Amino acid sequence: MAEEIRAEMVANVWKVVVKAGDVVSDGDTLVILESMKMEIPVLTEANGTVRQVAVNEGDVVQEGDLIAVVE
Amino acid sequence: MTALATPLQTQETGSDLDPRDPEVRLAQLLDADSLVPLRPRDSSGVYAVRGRIDGARVVAYCTDATKMGGAMGAEGCRHIVDAIDTAVRERCPVIGLWHCGGARLAEGVESLDAVGQVFAAMIRASGRVPQISVILGPAAGGAAYGPALTDVVVMAPAGRIFVTGPDVVRSVTGEQVDMEALGGPSAHGKRSGVVHVIADSEDDAYTRARRITGLFARPGLFDLHAVRDGEDLGALLPDRPQRAYDVKPLLRHLLDTEQGPDGTQVSMFEELQAKWAPNIVIGLGRLGGRTVGVIANNPLRLGGCLDSLSAEKAARFVRMCDSFGVPLLVVVDVPGYLPGVGQEWDGVVRRGAKLLHAFSEAVVPRVTLVTRKAYGGAYIAMNSRSLGATTVFAWPTAEVAVMGAKAAVGILHRKKLAAAPDEEREALQAKLIEEHERIAGGVNRAMTIGVVDEVIDPKETRRRLAEALAAAPAGRGAHGNIPL
Repeated sequence: MAEEIRAEMVANVWKVVVKAGDVVSDGDTLVILESMKMEIPVLTEANGTVRQVAVNEGDVVQEGDLIAVVE
Repeated sequence: MTALATPLQTQETGSDLDPRDPEVRLAQLLDADSLVPLRPRDSSGVYAVRGRIDGARVVAYCTDATKMGGAMGAEGCRHIVDAIDTAVRERCPVIGLWHCGGARLAEGVESLDAVGQVFAAMIRASGRVPQISVILGPAAGGAAYGPALTDVVVMAPAGRIFVTGPDVVRSVTGEQVDMEALGGPSAHGKRSGVVHVIADSEDDAYTRARRITGLFARPGLFDLHAVRDGEDLGALLPDRPQRAYDVKPLLRHLLDTEQGPDGTQVSMFEELQAKWAPNIVIGLGRLGGRTVGVIANNPLRLGGCLDSLSAEKAARFVRMCDSFGVPLLVVVDVPGYLPGVGQEWDGVVRRGAKLLHAFSEAVVPRVTLVTRKAYGGAYIAMNSRSLGATTVFAWPTAEVAVMGAKAAVGILHRKKLAAAPDEEREALQAKLIEEHERIAGGVNRAMTIGVVDEVIDPKETRRRLAEALAAAPAGRGAHGNIPL
């Protein structure tokens, strides 16, 4: 089943760590957001393959925006 | 509140082999051979007993899923009220095992009245004795609100909590949903916050309920000689101050460990509501042998910001610990309150006020440790000196301020910075930041004005925290534990 990972808060995308096709497991960092002067890693809770990374470095994400899909 | 029919997998024979039989279930919760019925078994649908958990006296009751899906009738409800009143009289924890489709339809309003009396008994007992609920199957209608009124709710994988079931939801709103999606462990563990502990199995649910009961029933005494120290806990923080990290490993190192079955040291930290409002971590553990309640910002989630849900989660936990005399340890690393329209409209002010109220009202010893940053309104809310903290410690790396120095300088000196020539602006900003840190931020200024009592060595943290909590007079708040 595909797991959609969405932004928990408004933030800038500081670093994209994975790319489509990468194999990830629970707890791995997908991207790092920057908000409230904090670097906040976005982790996956699912094991699987990254099917899509929906953001680029420098993007601004709103709460609820799609960040990545892990399958 | 309507009854929900549960399909019976086995015949209603009352055989001891039915895993849903209350005697079988209570035997798994309680110490071997400690079970003494409050009343003989009957057809009321509830079985209530006295027993022991790790040797401590408890009262427990279990709805009988082998009879009418465990539905609550007037007689069964009287047994629950009896059990709770007995626990209050004998000052021991009371544990409810729930597998119950709601009120008995056939008894009509009489059963509704009886369910209401169960609620009233729980509320009478609130804050006087710990009440723990274990959800083993469906707990619908009245059986949903019962556990929600208690202090800690543990849910087994087959547990389901909802006021109205999938059929009613479908007929009224047209939403298609099954029982698990509507009120299963994931729904209540992540979304609603109703459930405190998600268990891996029914067995695990009993184990977790026993552990939590033990933390309340056998709180122990601070044994300062037993506090092992010397580990550099500061090394658990990232090198860069703006880097997020998971606070839980730090908490596990702060608290006592015990020998696991394979000989390794395992943490005894029992986290509550782990997946709901995860930007704050709450839970029970032991420090120097004494049960303590822990509240910590978790920078890994939302940068550790306080928001409306996390403030409410922490507020209820603080009040619960206060009502049972459990000392509090508050670990602070908070960049502020989460800004946003959603937050303001969600009532971050109303719910944030609960946390201020809860801390300031609490009479248990409550010690704060600032590990990295404590900024703005969130600094006040996290058991600050002004709210009456017993002691406020800080690590040498800590910063206590209204906001980060760079942001503060940007506001305070906006005109000055704008007027400066482009090539000099950066140097000016650096100079102003340094000046600002000297007069307003950093941990030294906080110590001078007395809002931080002492900067301590991370290597001595466990001992210093235990000493400060042990030295404070024991207190216990005279109030109930309203499910905020």
